[in-house]
Amino acid sequence: MDDVATKIIDILKKHMKEPRDDIGLDTQLTDLKIESLDLAMIVFDIEDTFGIEIPYNANEEAADFKTVGSVVDRVRALIESSGAAAAKA
Amino acid sequence: MSASGSSRRVVVTGLGAVTSIGTTVPEMWAGCKQGKLGVSPLDGFPIGDLKILIGAQIRDFDPKVRLKHFKRDKIILHADRYSWFAAASADEAIKQSGLEVPFTNPYRVAAIVGSGAGGLNTMETCYRDLFINMKKATHPLTLLRFIGSSAAAHVGIEFGVKGPTFATCSACSTAAHAIGIGRDYIRHGICDVAVVGASESVINYGVMRAWQAMHVLSPEGCFPFAKRRNGTVLGEGAGMLVLESEEHARARGAKMLVELKGFGMTSDSRDMVNPDIDGPSEAMRFALEDAKLGPGDIDYLNAHGTATTINDRNETNAIKRVFGEHAKNLAISSTKSMHGHPLGAGGGIEAVICIKAMEDNWVPPTIGLDEADPECDLDYIPNTGRDKKITYTMSNSFAFGGLNAVLVFGPPPA
Repeated sequence: MDDVATKIIDILKKHMKEPRDDIGLDTQLTDLKIESLDLAMIVFDIEDTFGIEIPYNANEEAADFKTVGSVVDRVRALIESSGAAAAKA
Repeated sequence: MSASGSSRRVVVTGLGAVTSIGTTVPEMWAGCKQGKLGVSPLDGFPIGDLKILIGAQIRDFDPKVRLKHFKRDKIILHADRYSWFAAASADEAIKQSGLEVPFTNPYRVAAIVGSGAGGLNTMETCYRDLFINMKKATHPLTLLRFIGSSAAAHVGIEFGVKGPTFATCSACSTAAHAIGIGRDYIRHGICDVAVVGASESVINYGVMRAWQAMHVLSPEGCFPFAKRRNGTVLGEGAGMLVLESEEHARARGAKMLVELKGFGMTSDSRDMVNPDIDGPSEAMRFALEDAKLGPGDIDYLNAHGTATTINDRNETNAIKRVFGEHAKNLAISSTKSMHGHPLGAGGGIEAVICIKAMEDNWVPPTIGLDEADPECDLDYIPNTGRDKKITYTMSNSFAFGGLNAVLVFGPPPA
């Protein structure tokens, strides 16, 4: 697991009522018992950690966020695109 | 207005308080006994260029200790400091009442928990993050933390209150209004139990600047009724009561501490900052009338006593108008001299102090009263408390905007 994945898993653990040590890239988010407010705090922490903005609306199904791996992929893509944007500017 | 002509009697069965002179009722009362000063140099946030450097801040309150046993409210530790104070004092009051939680008949319980300003510490952090730290987003709980009803909601969630749950907001009369409204709800049969009071925590750089700009804060200390008084001192904290109908308390064999006998409220309807004598006088009169008592019956009056030049003189004149000859025999004190001015929470903390005074037959002092203002010539219990048989007490709250609320407590029904 790379740095992005490790950091994201640490953030998830920080916000879980009962943190687990067996979280991997294929762990389903629904298995982590994350409630909506926790999710908002997790998104905030990820954005703050990586300096990105994650388009996400609590009213919509978060299709991008089925597994831990899907979150990591999405964050990596956002980091790359924000880096590209920064490079252009 | 006053609420008269109704039936059910309302008693107090639990008390809770968080203040700068003690973060539980026994500690606060011990602080009153010692004439403890809760005012100290400001700490815990960037002082910057502030000119007023003192406040009555609470130093020894750890939410992780006081609220760790909370079960139903999962995010209380993420809440604003003002919600912590409300939750801790409600917890203390409910424990003393002996009521089972979550409440067995939840729709018959109210939680009326006011705040003069809501979570302004959260807003301070939010604006610092956005405008100074240039953060991309505010903390996701910012909104839930700062709304003025969040303390009421947190209390309602933790203790399982499903009846009327909301906040009152009337600056320094906030708690007294909450307590009075809760009393009336029980009196009129809307509920049987009410957790009532208010909480405040607004001591931060921005709010200090706002108060500083009003020029009503003292750089030296809070000296109510003293010749040297030169302004109030901001405090923080919470004061809560558990109210019940007499029959509800009797049916479960609860200890009735006192009866909440009278509630009077008025508005000066005149000026945002300059109080008049009519509004406060009428509020005191309505509270007495509601309690079916005469002025001579009151033994102790916990004054609003903010230590501003104008309040203390005006309040003295209003007391003289209502109490006439008895004003000279009345034991009056401003406990703000010890716990500072906790704004919206003041009336709740001071209601608790009135009830403790009745329990102990002892009146708390106005400390720092070395030389009284010649225009404030009543018995303000200077510097040391006094033993006195106390049957009936009155608590005054007079707020910016001319919003007045007065409570009268008496012995529990025989």
